[in-house]
Amino acid sequence: MKLEERIIQTLANNLQKKVEIKPESRLVEDLLLDSFDGLMIISALEDEFSVTLNIQDLSEFTTVGDIIEKFRQSRGEE
Amino acid sequence: MYLERFYRRISLDESLVETVGFNPYYPELQSGLEDRILINGRAYINLAANNYLGLAADPRVKQAAAQAVQKYGASLCSTPITTGYTDLCQALERKLAGFLGLEDAILLPSCYQANNGLFRTIVGKEDLVIIDRFAHSSLVQGIMAVGCKVRPFLHNNMEHLEEILKRSGDYRQIFVVTESVFSTDGSIAPCKELADLCRKYDALPVIDDSHGIGVLGRSGKGILEEEEISGYQGIYTASLGKAFANAGGLISGHRNLIRYLRYYCSHLVYSTALPPSVLAGIGAVLDIIEAEFVPLKTKLDAYRKIIFNSLVEGGFDARPGKAPINSIRAGSKEKTWRIAQRLFEKGIIATPFIEPAVAVGEGKVRLIAGANLREDTVREAALILRKVGSR
Repeated sequence: MKLEERIIQTLANNLQKKVEIKPESRLVEDLLLDSFDGLMIISALEDEFSVTLNIQDLSEFTTVGDIIEKFRQSRGEE
Repeated sequence: MYLERFYRRISLDESLVETVGFNPYYPELQSGLEDRILINGRAYINLAANNYLGLAADPRVKQAAAQAVQKYGASLCSTPITTGYTDLCQALERKLAGFLGLEDAILLPSCYQANNGLFRTIVGKEDLVIIDRFAHSSLVQGIMAVGCKVRPFLHNNMEHLEEILKRSGDYRQIFVVTESVFSTDGSIAPCKELADLCRKYDALPVIDDSHGIGVLGRSGKGILEEEEISGYQGIYTASLGKAFANAGGLISGHRNLIRYLRYYCSHLVYSTALPPSVLAGIGAVLDIIEAEFVPLKTKLDAYRKIIFNSLVEGGFDARPGKAPINSIRAGSKEKTWRIAQRLFEKGIIATPFIEPAVAVGEGKVRLIAGANLREDTVREAALILRKVGSR
């Protein structure tokens, strides 16, 4: 599975609200993320990619695409 | 000007009140929880209180409270650890623990304090707390204050919980936290399954049964009886201001836990003890539940169905549930308040929930028809709901 698909799938599996998630989806305005959603997403991404994150990392992201880009960079992908 | 910036920063955002033209919060009551309540001199049907069994204004409960005041006065003016702990309190704690089938219990001034104090006392940074996505603020705030790892699981989703448990190693202790009945929509947690998962993964369950005690189970003993959970080894908390119609918070469970909390839970140790009137009132409610639970619950269930049917007929988005709570899914905070406003104008008080009490855009209006209401009052409320909904 491509990195983008893995991240979107992880988010979809860990959000209470069933909404369409696309790279351009904004976390707060479109996905209506609150602090608990943030905790769920951070933990789920940690599990999926075997990395350590903290909740402050989420404040760096505006869209789902920002998360994908961050992971892409940290994995040394173009 | 002196402190002007500070007071400006904490000024209230009243834009929602201005948009809707109504503020549903802090209505000023001029009566107790009788068949109708008085607000600004007008009588309302009260579908907002958590007075499930309708015992808050029961003459026997009032009398017990009054007699306790005669014997002990209004307050012991002390914390329980000094001279605030009466024979009345000790007897009630033992009676409540026995009622639940647990080893011991303590009473705190509120369940908010009980839940907050519990986690701050027994959880450390080296622990993991896994908590239902929709758990009550008192649980969440207590846990977040500890600074430990917190992992929410999808609401009532035991598969998701197990996935998290499977991946969780290397913690001193894992706690799994839920409410039994989720108060905004009446959904009930699969607590037996949750307790079984905890046993399987060596985790400690914490169940807040605030909306289950005195309501669920064959004889009103709450979620443990409802789900036939025997030999419960976890922690049990509950409010005594709902079906128990008084005030205070209960923590019950293993005797070592309760003994530890008696000395180390700051929320107990540094708080003035519950007043004798409240302790006696809780005791009176317990006696009534033990003698009259079945007819009270039968009435409560019948009222819930009447209200639910009227919501459906009125075109509201309402879902059936086992708990005696009806909930309208309203959507945005504006829509939520407007429904509460329309009901208020027609003589019904309901409880609107908006974020952060519920998820953003998932506002709800809760309706509870307590057993103190007369049947014709509930039918009148149902008629109003049908009319308001179809408008």
